[in-house]
Amino acid sequence: MDSWRLFKDTVNPASTALGLSIDDTLPLSLSQHGSPPILHLYTFKPSAIVGKYQDIEAALRLDRCKDRGIEYNRRSTGGGTVIMGPEVVALGLGINIDQPGLKKGIGGIFESLSTILITALQDLGIKVGFRPRNDLEVDGKKIAGLSATLETEKAILFHASLLVDFDIPLMLDIMNQPALKLYDKGYNCFSQRITTIKEQLGYDIDMATVIGAIEKAFSQKFSVSFEKDEPDTWEKKSIKDLINNRYTNPDWIFSHKHPRSKMGIGEFKTPGGLLEIYLSLAGSTIEHIIITGDFFSTTKDINLLESALKWTSAKREKIEEHLSEVWKEDMIHGVTVNTLTEAIVKAKENPVMR
Amino acid sequence: MAIIKGYDMPDELYYHEEHSWARVEGNRVTVGMDDMFQKEAGDIVFVDLPDEEDEFEQGEVCGKIQSRKWIGKLCAPVSGEIVEINEELEDDTSLVNQDPYGKGWILVIEATDLENELTNLMQGDSLLPFIDQEIKRTEEERAKA
Repeated sequence: MDSWRLFKDTVNPASTALGLSIDDTLPLSLSQHGSPPILHLYTFKPSAIVGKYQDIEAALRLDRCKDRGIEYNRRSTGGGTVIMGPEVVALGLGINIDQPGLKKGIGGIFESLSTILITALQDLGIKVGFRPRNDLEVDGKKIAGLSATLETEKAILFHASLLVDFDIPLMLDIMNQPALKLYDKGYNCFSQRITTIKEQLGYDIDMATVIGAIEKAFSQKFSVSFEKDEPDTWEKKSIKDLINNRYTNPDWIFSHKHPRSKMGIGEFKTPGGLLEIYLSLAGSTIEHIIITGDFFSTTKDINLLESALKWTSAKREKIEEHLSEVWKEDMIHGVTVNTLTEAIVKAKENPVMR
Repeated sequence: MAIIKGYDMPDELYYHEEHSWARVEGNRVTVGMDDMFQKEAGDIVFVDLPDEEDEFEQGEVCGKIQSRKWIGKLCAPVSGEIVEINEELEDDTSLVNQDPYGKGWILVIEATDLENELTNLMQGDSLLPFIDQEIKRTEEERAKA
């Protein structure tokens, strides 16, 4: 049985600079230092971390972060903002794309790694599934998010965050979301879209148990054993360099390499009721969408529709195409793919200031 | 125009194994990502372009491309200096999906060793085994999994 390395800390939450620098070192260590795959399981200090190509000033209310002592930083993998803290498991994995057991292609890699997290959560007693666009869900509510970057020829860094507990009011206070314009609805809106391990289990669970389940699931999937380890001298130098040159460097944190960020709100009357759309756009892509209103539907179906649109093109024909892929009859009573598309396009064309 | 196993791979272009394509006009080489890449990657969110006058070796990563939550790489199919980038991609990355060989071009390289380096790229009939191999590898892995 092959042995992989495990960097694990369930006791001391890491600063964003340290945690992210360790993660970035993982694929480098595989490609340049001859390391076997490395799994890094840990927690962060309370923090908000944006994706590599996000506009941090548009995504976060930095003044509120500073007032509340919430760190903010930019990771090297894709995707949107994540709120991290001592009760969110952070996972970094350095692995080669030709690792036996890992499916090929972008979708295949996400699917393989999602399967492992699904196994871990099922082991804890939570019935969880994969939903398109790289999230894990329970009854339509997000419980974990995934992202990745291909760092070298074949070594990737894979990131995941698993919510053991989550502070929605904190998120509403520090993130810029179009739905936050609806202050009164904000909490309900997000509590219907996010769940946690504690909420699903109905009792408290310690981080060590959750992290242990993830470790076990990886071990089973790849038929490997884990050796608890720490960064060696070469890796420590890389971590130090990354802390100094990247994760404490304003040029990195406030990078302007990102698509233009926009928000839009649209209202659209349909035979099924009023549709209200809250949209965040990254260039020509839908970064985040909330579909709400006074129509009849289920939380699960609405979350499915929203997920199908996240990180896809905001062009009318693409919106229609992606909605059609998941559309079921009477998903929203009295609403069709065409009318929903129309409402989203209306939101896109009605920009609002952050 | 050649359709190979459902992928549009125009005959006149040269292809790098990391799925960048090269259109050669004298020493100017226009570069983009091929149809197989854009179909596999899905909607492109952002193209992280190099700066003009940057220089790259053949096969070196000269840009990054985010699709959904994945960040992949753009490899220079030939060595040389970047002389032009497609600024339209800043506003509309969907061009890479909609028109990968036309409006979705990414950059232009002034090549420095074109004659030698073109022999390292694939074109025409030599693409078929490559596409076959890429498809087969994916299918085998899926079956194993």
